[in-house]
Amino acid sequence: MATDTDSGYIDSFGQVSRTTGTVFRYLLLAATMFGIVTLAVLLVYVANDAIRPLTADLGWHLTFFLTLVVPTTVVGGYLARRNVPALKLGGMVVGMLAVFLMFSGGVAIVFVDIIPPLTGLSYVVGLLVPAALVVVLTKYEQQIPFTLRVAATGAAFILSLVGVPGYFHSIPEIVRQLPVVPADWMILTLVLGGVAAVVVGQYVARIRENTTAGLAAGASALLLTGLAAVVGPTLGVDANAAAVVTSVAFVPTLAYAGGAAVTREQERIGLLLAAAVVVGSLVGAFAVDALGFAGPQSWVDWQFLTSAHSGTAENAGLYPAIGGSILLMATVAALSFPLGVGAAVYLEEYAPDNAFSRFIDVNISNLAGVPSVVYGLLGLGVFVTYLGQPTGTVLIGGATLALLILPIVIISSREAIRAVPGDMRQASYGMGATRWQTVKNVVLPEAFPGILTGTILALGRAIGETAPLIMIGAPNVLFNLPTELTSKVSAMPLQVYAWSSLFASEDFYTKAVPAGVVVLLAVLLAMNSIAIVLRNKFESEN
Amino acid sequence: MSQRDKAPEGEQQAMNGTEDPTNDEMLVETDVSDGLSASGNSVGREAETVISSENINVWYGDDHALTDISMDIPENSVTAMIGPSGCGKSTFLRCINRMNDLIDVARVEGGLTLRGKNVYDDDVDPVALRRRVGMVFQKPNPFPKSIYENVVYGLKIQGIDADYDEVVEESLKRAALWDEVKDRLHESGLDLSGGQQQRLCIARAIATDPEVLLMDEPASALDPVATSQIEDLVEELAEDYTVVIVTHNMQQAARISDKTAVFLTGGELVEFDDTQKIFENPESQRVEDYITGKFG
Repeated sequence: MATDTDSGYIDSFGQVSRTTGTVFRYLLLAATMFGIVTLAVLLVYVANDAIRPLTADLGWHLTFFLTLVVPTTVVGGYLARRNVPALKLGGMVVGMLAVFLMFSGGVAIVFVDIIPPLTGLSYVVGLLVPAALVVVLTKYEQQIPFTLRVAATGAAFILSLVGVPGYFHSIPEIVRQLPVVPADWMILTLVLGGVAAVVVGQYVARIRENTTAGLAAGASALLLTGLAAVVGPTLGVDANAAAVVTSVAFVPTLAYAGGAAVTREQERIGLLLAAAVVVGSLVGAFAVDALGFAGPQSWVDWQFLTSAHSGTAENAGLYPAIGGSILLMATVAALSFPLGVGAAVYLEEYAPDNAFSRFIDVNISNLAGVPSVVYGLLGLGVFVTYLGQPTGTVLIGGATLALLILPIVIISSREAIRAVPGDMRQASYGMGATRWQTVKNVVLPEAFPGILTGTILALGRAIGETAPLIMIGAPNVLFNLPTELTSKVSAMPLQVYAWSSLFASEDFYTKAVPAGVVVLLAVLLAMNSIAIVLRNKFESEN
Repeated sequence: MSQRDKAPEGEQQAMNGTEDPTNDEMLVETDVSDGLSASGNSVGREAETVISSENINVWYGDDHALTDISMDIPENSVTAMIGPSGCGKSTFLRCINRMNDLIDVARVEGGLTLRGKNVYDDDVDPVALRRRVGMVFQKPNPFPKSIYENVVYGLKIQGIDADYDEVVEESLKRAALWDEVKDRLHESGLDLSGGQQQRLCIARAIATDPEVLLMDEPASALDPVATSQIEDLVEELAEDYTVVIVTHNMQQAARISDKTAVFLTGGELVEFDDTQKIFENPESQRVEDYITGKFG
């Protein structure tokens, strides 16, 4: 070292070797990227097999490159350099449209094909009547004893939905027996458009802080849905489909984009990106049609999405499996959400810290790691053998999958509840709130976004499970949509598994299997994207 | 409810009505305004004493946090508790409304009476007790709800039937926050500044018209301007409430309190007297050392 200690001056501090550290750092980077890159390569490979972009005409690619890719890149590049929040807004609108379009397909399957619109309407009315009564009762919360309120609420729902056999009909029955029933598209407009109108109206009223604007937005949402159903058939679109897609996908996206355009002046330029994508796609589609360029001969096409299994891979489809997956997820959510959140609230807020609660703690963590095939065996043993239920139904499949994700829901809900700051609980207790009042008014509202995020991610796990469904005897091939909780059910991963094992021919391997995988992954990513958006939104708010 | 009817002027009277009659079983004597004379249930307390502790001991597990604390806190005054960190002053505050019950390992022995009723008696419901004692915490902790909802929270959970709009305006005015927030009552309480949040918490605490207001270092997380606002507010509130305030800021205690209790290490109450006497002529050498900054 060139250090002159005698004079007190330092010529140089010397060098410290970092070679090992640098090597270590890049090894860590390699470890991080290994799994992601491997999976990405596989996904590109599968997607290429399923969608086959190279089978399209060169002109088709060129057209879309000019109408879609170039304008989007230009706008996106400009925004990325000048105004990143605006780019995020534009991306959000595009993502919202894509995800909601996908969900509108699911909603259409459920509310057109699985539940006939009239039946749906009858249950909506049957639920709304007692719900209105509950709202009225809540107004007089202070005057009516708790037990009486619970009893009245329960009785109202049971009377409305079940009626009294022999004496008077339940409300759904009355609705179904009405002498004049509206057309399906009217019912869909009323129910789905009504839900969209309420959501959009509240959203607009909140961001504009103006009730009139909210009412106007809600009314236009309903009107737009009705208009789509009327105009749709003249353009060759089914009225029911037009009503569903408009109310589920277009109306919320328009409301979000419109709201952003009005309230976020700095960022509204980002809507140009969304416009570039939408207009580019439409112009491109119109152009290739007019110019006669053939698109890719994708295996993921309308036929694949809307038909059942077939002996030949070209004609095979995923429709019953998609519907089955949706019904399964609805059942799983309905079962696992209340059970999981209930257990989480008990363990976090009520359970004393003793040996028993620690025992439960450890075992919930263990249950989260139990292989899914074991849960399948449990479902078979408990529901089929012991309770004597038929095999492979929606109810049994849903219950088994609900058991599978229950520990995950509990653990993620507990984390969300634990993240509620302790001083908020203190504030509530300090005001003289009971534990129940604190949980209801402070803890659950604050933890709800986290609970919801965790539950959606857990549902994402359930939707990809195959082994439990095989164990409970779900059929490999189903030609019709399940329409009741007691119908046999198939699911997307099970159908893909069946194609790759029972029908293991070259054809199925190269056509139907990749197409099924792509659809399954698209649904999964859509669900997870909603969970991630929710999480980011509420994290940035706190 | 007629008890909550307020004299249009005269803030002194305004918040003195009794609350929900169902709570009266906990404390026989509830009316602050004439609590001195109508003391039929008195167990030998001094005329003006609101809170009286006798040999309170608190343990956190094996840790002896408070040792034999006995003190009488007078009505409509500010009683400050000062002392170094970890000396047990906050612990004593939490004994008064039994917030220590929420800590699993905490154990309290001895007696503490609030207007003559021992709050550690078996028949005392800690939740009902807390409804009569307002508390403001060290860190401002408004709920993630609107300003309006924050103020009426206590009324809602306690089932007090009152004109909410009126209570909100009254409480926010008394907390010196009304002018700053009257146009945005429905915005989130979390959007306020730290000092405003703390005044919102004070408004929330007094909205239910408690007997006593406990403040646990209410200004320690605030800047000097917000701190002086809170201090002014405390002095004003003492006209109607019995305020017990924990602070580690001796100047603050000297400025705003009528009586001062000095806690020193080991959870002992070393001296409790008029503030002036404590700061000018303390009996104990240890207190003098602490106040003059020789230790602590």
